Amino acid sequence: MTKGDGALTTSAGTVADDAMRAGYLDLARAVLYREYLIFVRYPANAVGGIVISVFFFGLLFYGGRMLAGRAITDSIEGIIVGYFLWSLSVGAYQSISSDIGSEAQWGTLERHVMTPFGFAPVAFCKGVAKVVRTFITSTVVLAVMLAITGTSLQLNVLTVVVVASLTIASVLGLGFAAGGVAVLYKRIGNWLNLLQFGFIVLISAPVFELGWTRMLPLAHGSALLQRAMVDGTRLWQFSAVDLGLLVGVPAGYVLFGYVVFQYTTRRARRLGVLGDY
Amino acid sequence: MSVMSSQRPPRRGSRTAEQSTAPRDGATPALAVEGLSKQFGSGADAVAAVDDVSFRIEQGTVVGLLGPNGAGKTTTIKSILGLVLPDSGRIRVQGIDMNEHPRAAYRHVDGMLEGARNDYWRLTVRENLRYFSTIKGIKPDAVADRHERLLAKLDLLEKADEPVRDLSRGMKQKVSLASVLASESDLVFLDEPTLGLDVESSLTLRRELRRIVDERDLTAVVSSHDMDVIEDVCDRVIIMNEGEIIADDSVPAVLDQFTASAFAVTSPDITDDLLTTIRDRFEVVDVTSGERGRRVEVATDSDGFYRLLALCRDHDVTLTGVGTVEPDLEDVFVEITGQER
Repeated sequence: MTKGDGALTTSAGTVADDAMRAGYLDLARAVLYREYLIFVRYPANAVGGIVISVFFFGLLFYGGRMLAGRAITDSIEGIIVGYFLWSLSVGAYQSISSDIGSEAQWGTLERHVMTPFGFAPVAFCKGVAKVVRTFITSTVVLAVMLAITGTSLQLNVLTVVVVASLTIASVLGLGFAAGGVAVLYKRIGNWLNLLQFGFIVLISAPVFELGWTRMLPLAHGSALLQRAMVDGTRLWQFSAVDLGLLVGVPAGYVLFGYVVFQYTTRRARRLGVLGDY
Repeated sequence: MSVMSSQRPPRRGSRTAEQSTAPRDGATPALAVEGLSKQFGSGADAVAAVDDVSFRIEQGTVVGLLGPNGAGKTTTIKSILGLVLPDSGRIRVQGIDMNEHPRAAYRHVDGMLEGARNDYWRLTVRENLRYFSTIKGIKPDAVADRHERLLAKLDLLEKADEPVRDLSRGMKQKVSLASVLASESDLVFLDEPTLGLDVESSLTLRRELRRIVDERDLTAVVSSHDMDVIEDVCDRVIIMNEGEIIADDSVPAVLDQFTASAFAVTSPDITDDLLTTIRDRFEVVDVTSGERGRRVEVATDSDGFYRLLALCRDHDVTLTGVGTVEPDLEDVFVEITGQER
């Protein structure tokens, strides 16, 4: 056994003792901290996203008022909640799908594959970090929307955070699937970003008239978020079926995204194109 | 195992790879590759990128992986790292089967692939080291001192708190290397570690790399087109061509196989007629002119060399220079692979 450069080594090589070994908590902290650093050090992206979101909401609100008058004003609460959820969804989806493509270009994707934690936990932590970041920017957008329109909403933080997080988890699953496809087919990523416009349809899906639409991503969660933020319904006041669907539907899409991602990255490894850009 | 090109059998005095890189204490090799094969495409378009490649590398050895473009180097490295799924073969890192227990194996192996872009340019140098240590399962606080020493060795301390994107190409390359070495892996793959560096930066990087490898008893596989890098840094060289290993031996042994395979004579008296005669009787490798006259380099053995001297004497040539031509690794590589210079 030798010591060189402080590294404890044996004939079998460098050995990290238990005190040196990082756990999943360390992993989560590192991924979140990295996201935080990028967020505070390069705020232009976040600020740009907020400005664009607010700009389009302003167009929607003032343009709508000119065209539809009171109809817009009467339904403004629902529009704000829907826009808030859409902004959350787009942020989460884009950050996941484009992040995977960027990592492949930077050569860092391989390093996240070559981890003793396994790629799935690392990708999950990165997904959570993206959602946290998206929540911060979307909350700013929400505050500006409320200020512009002079509207007030029921903002029970626990209910809103839980319902919104579970709702966009399904988008996270789609983002992973899209990211996986982008790893395999590279430049298709930009086309997959068009999917985000479909989120508008999903968020406004007629879940009461067409029950099956609750199985689509965002649809059921969107309806619950409307009830929470407009009517003031608390998390524990939802029925067991509603809560079950709130958890079950995104779980299904996350599982779908994971399976697609696993399949596509495995295929990319078989074809030798993982990380090649 | 020693695998040599059939065109050029091992010469007297050469050592085989087994002799030169035998296990020091019979311990598990750092890397064992058995029957690795990978084919891309199918049918008539199928290309065998790697064809039944086997080798083992003992702990603490630095191995250079050489080969022309398309030789199968990158596919071999990526297959070992699990980034390419091989069609067949077995890979064991520190005795751990890479296919069966990849997560356990990844505690021991890391790679710097394709030059400088394998870290986050928007993070600082120090942040990159901390992040990638954690990703590799090492608490960065527990190895903070080692990171500082590593940064000092690579002359990165002054730039440690600057974002990587603001650094020069050479510095970025060093950061890339540092972030791999910071992971505490005992087997590292370095693909073109000096790509794009100026001469001075390249020299510094390879000197520090060799020193760190020795101090930490690391095992490293270095792939490079720069033969000087391989010659300076590596103990052993594996040369691949068309998906197969065509040479595998220690660097001195590979060079030794070609020692004195060429001789040169220099004189102002070597006329065009004499040069024609020499060309008729010997394989002339190179002809140059300088202050001491015309220098003619011929590929021949020692008997041939004496015949060359006799020929010069018969033509009343006064030689101003006589000597053997020591091959470098590039000569060996060109000879073995049949590549153009």
